[in-house]
Amino acid sequence: MALRRSYTAVVERNALWQGDFATEPYEAAWASEAIFFVRALDVTPTTLPYGTVVSGVAQVQISADGIHWVNEGSSFNLPIEQNAVAFCRVKHFGGWLRLRGAMYEDTSITVLVSLALKE
Amino acid sequence: MNLAYAADPRLSRFDPLERIFFYDDFDEGIRGWSELIGNYEHSLDSMLPEYSDMRPPMLSNLTMWDTGAAGSMEGTYALKLASRARTGSLATSIKRQTFRKRGQIQLECYFTFKPEASELRLSLNDVRAFGVLFDLQDGMNPEYRWMPHLRYLNAQDSEMVNRWQMKGETRAFHNIGDSGETVSHFHLGSENWEFVDAPVQTLAYNEIATKMNWHYLRVNVDLAERRFLGFQCNDLVYAGEPLKHISIPAMPNLNCMLNTAFWVETNRDKRAFLYLDSVLLSGEF
Repeated sequence: MALRRSYTAVVERNALWQGDFATEPYEAAWASEAIFFVRALDVTPTTLPYGTVVSGVAQVQISADGIHWVNEGSSFNLPIEQNAVAFCRVKHFGGWLRLRGAMYEDTSITVLVSLALKE
Repeated sequence: MNLAYAADPRLSRFDPLERIFFYDDFDEGIRGWSELIGNYEHSLDSMLPEYSDMRPPMLSNLTMWDTGAAGSMEGTYALKLASRARTGSLATSIKRQTFRKRGQIQLECYFTFKPEASELRLSLNDVRAFGVLFDLQDGMNPEYRWMPHLRYLNAQDSEMVNRWQMKGETRAFHNIGDSGETVSHFHLGSENWEFVDAPVQTLAYNEIATKMNWHYLRVNVDLAERRFLGFQCNDLVYAGEPLKHISIPAMPNLNCMLNTAFWVETNRDKRAFLYLDSVLLSGEF
């Protein structure tokens, strides 16, 4: 039995996100499934008026050429505690993947973003 | 040429020494090429900043916005190094091995490089440089760690250079963390590069940023004599005086190290890409 190939790329390491952010384009045409893991090395969240604690929201984006991007449709909340991990599964994404998103006002996060890919 | 190699279409484009140590065709996967990272203790913040973001390699099918996918030289996928879109950003990928005999080794590869095709202009000088290095240390009773570097300086600022360079000195060592057990030195800085005594070599760029031509590179090193013997790129053959290399006293836990790394550096606020179709390391062992 041929084992399925897999690879994990750390697309951001010790990166500080404030305001808008986007990860670098990553080519993964060989893979049929992916998970973005976002681990908070440090985070300063905020509490919204109705009591929810938040930091930021990330959206998965896909691209035909690595230059022009469009939302894939998946989005997820970023961690609000140090060392907490958020993730998002993606399938059927074509050639390129990245995360794009925004932090809430007065929040910041230092992230380690791993992209786990599998054939 | 060895007839067994000549009969294999994947190998007949190489001239390996007597034993193939590794042959990485990236249609098969990432094959041990990982992102280079600096040393750290306790926190990633302790790393030398130059090493903090050397970008993960990826497998590319060379898809362009205007013409679709070209695939690699032989097959679909190539190893791709991509810098950030920030002047001077480096992407560096390394394969870590050890050797079992201090003989001659030879690295061969087919490569191409381009800036990201984000502008509809020639973009000839947007990639600053790419290169290959070995990080080596003697085996038993080691005296030296030594690091042959070979760099193709494509352009510096607005000036085209198109020449090969070598490096004879690294930066000072720094203590990392507080245990006294970890040190680090950055050896890919812009300083201490010297031109090899070889002519200008203009590698085919082919007019626009979405057309890639593959190039051949061969690098020869003698582990026994610690000599950086020479190289060949396409029809340029350098076989003159041994090239300069970085040499430092042996370090505690690196015996028999045989690391190979490639890097690419951008000259503008635009991503620079280095693609490797395949890499072959052969030797006398």
